[in-house]
Amino acid sequence: MMDLFFEITGWLRETFLLDLAFWMMETPISLVMVENFWNVPLAQVVHIISIGSAFGALLMLTLRVHGKASENLPMDVVAKRYVPWVWYGLLGIVISGLLMLTAEPLRNMINAVFWIKMILLLVAVVLTLGFFKSVRAQGAGEVVQAASGTRTTALVLIVLWLLIMLAGRWIAYIPV
Amino acid sequence: MMYPEPTNIWQSIEYSSLGTGIAESLWAFPMIESVHVMALVTVFGTILVMDLRLLGLASTNVAASKMSSDTLKWTWIGFVLAAITGTLLFVSKASTYMVNPYFLTKMGLLAAAGINMLIFHFVTYKSVNEWDNSSTLPTGAKLAGILSIIFWVVIVFCGRAIGFTLGIYLPEVSF
Repeated sequence: MMDLFFEITGWLRETFLLDLAFWMMETPISLVMVENFWNVPLAQVVHIISIGSAFGALLMLTLRVHGKASENLPMDVVAKRYVPWVWYGLLGIVISGLLMLTAEPLRNMINAVFWIKMILLLVAVVLTLGFFKSVRAQGAGEVVQAASGTRTTALVLIVLWLLIMLAGRWIAYIPV
Repeated sequence: MMYPEPTNIWQSIEYSSLGTGIAESLWAFPMIESVHVMALVTVFGTILVMDLRLLGLASTNVAASKMSSDTLKWTWIGFVLAAITGTLLFVSKASTYMVNPYFLTKMGLLAAAGINMLIFHFVTYKSVNEWDNSSTLPTGAKLAGILSIIFWVVIVFCGRAIGFTLGIYLPEVSF
């Protein structure tokens, strides 16, 4: 597995991403981010808090879909409570993530795990759009059980988020 | 690898086969840390859902007791997992963590967050029947909610600060 990551990193190093990373290091945001010792850790704190907010909301909605929480409420009512927290959480994740990326472009842009994480994130966002739509569409104003497809998608999304977190932590441990 | 004779309990923990095993492995520390992150975001996320209900800022259509029973199980699962993985991370660098002010602050704040939760459940929560379904909860419940959010945000900050200051606060080593 490690060998594969090294191989991908070696290949990424030959692409425009290396020059892009060097260019990013000279941008004003990057210079501001590396100026103060606490900027990167603080961006990471915002990143983790945002993940917690979004993942917690997704977990509660998943529990509703599986009849393990707020089972006394219609699904569209539960969705109304948690869906905005997933999107606003994601906004916080993207903003803090961009700051972290700009602060240390080399650590990410030629890192295989970073790009695996980005692909997983993209898949998760697309699936989330479909998941929310199907949740809202089922038994509006009525307490019904979720369709089996919706239940499965909810679990797949939870697993995807956990894999994204796993990749996120491993970015720091892959030498580039 | 050879390790010096331990001169205090923290070194004994760190130089144990478990401690050195984690420290010497290429994958153990990052893997345990990854599970720690998954666990702690579950703790933070579910606690935030409960805290927002206590503050009357969200889920006001859900009874406080129902919200508590919906979230608490997952908060505990996350917390136990975070505690186990956190202990394993600690064991691998015990003497370095014990001289790190952010680690010590984090442990203090975890205790404070626990006391806040105990006071809420054993004092404020006694009168839950009077306010369970209202959107505006008594001051005690609101206070528990806001303190909880503050404690957990600062706990996350300390956790990250530990990782960034490991090389700054070093234990005295005697050879």
